Amino acid sequence: MSPILVGPLAVAGLSTVLAFLIAILDKFLNNYGQLKISINGGKKELVVKGGSPLLGTLAAEGIFVPSACGGRGTCGACKCKVLTDVGPHLPTEMPYMSPKDIEGNVRLACQVKVRKDLEIELPEELFSIKKLKTRVERIKDLTYDIKEVLLSLEGQTIEFEAGQYVQLVVPPYGDIPESAQRAYSMSSRPSDSAHVELLVRLVPGGIATTWVHKFLKEGDSVEIVGPFGEFRIHDTTASMICVAGGSGMAPFKSILNHMKETGAFPEKEIWYFFGARTTKDMFYLDELSALAKAWPRFHFVAALSEPKPEENWKGDVGLITDVLDRYLQGKIDKKKGLEGYLCGSPGMINACINVMKKNGMTEDKIYFDKFA
Amino acid sequence: MKLRPIEKDAFGRMGPGTITAQGFLGNDSRAPEEIIAEDEMEFARLGLDFEAVADELENLKIEGEKGLGEPLTVGKLLIQTGDARGMLPCPYGDGLHHKNAVSVRLADQPAESCVEGEDMLVFSDLSIHLLRVHHFCQGRGSPFRLEPALMARLVKER
Repeated sequence: MSPILVGPLAVAGLSTVLAFLIAILDKFLNNYGQLKISINGGKKELVVKGGSPLLGTLAAEGIFVPSACGGRGTCGACKCKVLTDVGPHLPTEMPYMSPKDIEGNVRLACQVKVRKDLEIELPEELFSIKKLKTRVERIKDLTYDIKEVLLSLEGQTIEFEAGQYVQLVVPPYGDIPESAQRAYSMSSRPSDSAHVELLVRLVPGGIATTWVHKFLKEGDSVEIVGPFGEFRIHDTTASMICVAGGSGMAPFKSILNHMKETGAFPEKEIWYFFGARTTKDMFYLDELSALAKAWPRFHFVAALSEPKPEENWKGDVGLITDVLDRYLQGKIDKKKGLEGYLCGSPGMINACINVMKKNGMTEDKIYFDKFA
Repeated sequence: MKLRPIEKDAFGRMGPGTITAQGFLGNDSRAPEEIIAEDEMEFARLGLDFEAVADELENLKIEGEKGLGEPLTVGKLLIQTGDARGMLPCPYGDGLHHKNAVSVRLADQPAESCVEGEDMLVFSDLSIHLLRVHHFCQGRGSPFRLEPALMARLVKER
């Protein structure tokens, strides 16, 4: 053998032996075996295989903690209380933790590995969350960038409150090598437990929205996880001031149809402000106008921020916050009290909260579903 | 080109599935250091300055945010800002940025005929940071690629 080859071959041989040793050691040293997870003071006990992140371990046992990034540690949604000492918070967790979270042992379930028996606390409602296999029954274009997607649960059912959301499981596709999950509010009525309807607006560069808009077809199988969320109608007699833009329409479609169908909360007056740029961005206009005619306590205010002369728009004009301000100042009866219900981008929500506060509404009576 | 350890680590985090599912390199066959070097040359050729262009993108985002999530006409441009849940770390490890997407295109061009990266610029807070601090415009084929010629064209139309 040439002496030139001896060095590289020796290094290659040594590397192979070391890799083999590491693999063997990893198998034995990182084999945590069967471990116990005790949830909510022993109300639920799980026996699981150790070594994996808590988020995935719980999901394998049918307990779905909300996560918008699929466990990559970039959304901060999968917070839960870990009472067992599992070491200090990781740098990947810190951006999502308030001092109160840190003091209360709140952790990101996707960043904590199950390496010993754990005691954790989870909201009870997570136990009723299911993973459902669905089939796409219909995809309808509402505008050039918003699609209405109707999913059939094919014999399964879902129980939810109007205003809640599900996580859509996006499989690997095109250049996307990994599955991801994204949250979408349900626009369907709770009484139709055999279907889930979602409104999805195309976000440039968005993984889930690109999949829905460019890859998903009628007849395809889709997994969803849910229901999640605290956004729901509050049982009071106060009038509802609802504001949305774009696909923020979804929870309100569900809420309005549910209230009309069941006659729920009969004392509540409902004002619904919906903003878009031009008529090309507006949808469900006829349906909501017809609903307002047939349902005296429902008032629908559609506004365009940049109507073109040729559109001959007869409705309100301006940014939705300006329109809301005008109505709150002179057209809405405040005698029964007002509650705010908002769904949209953080910018829209913050701007609406400012307008509502300026008009005497209190922040504790403003409920919202922020996209972010 | 010899890479510094910080660059080596950063480039290792730019592939799909580490920080974002898609990664930062798109289908570009060039190494990250080549992408940066070639874009720096393109910036010089177009007479652009990284800091100034990053400021312009920041301003476009601020203007677009006034649309409250809906598209908004700003001069000859149409800007739309959107948000997602969470934060993204910079691959170079020097900061966390809110997950968002700002799209900018000519207002008179119908959305249906727009091609991302060719007629429409898409960027986030992280893209602005990568441009400003690291001169990294991302690889070709990345949805958030900041093509220097397109940036020069759109920024001029503002």
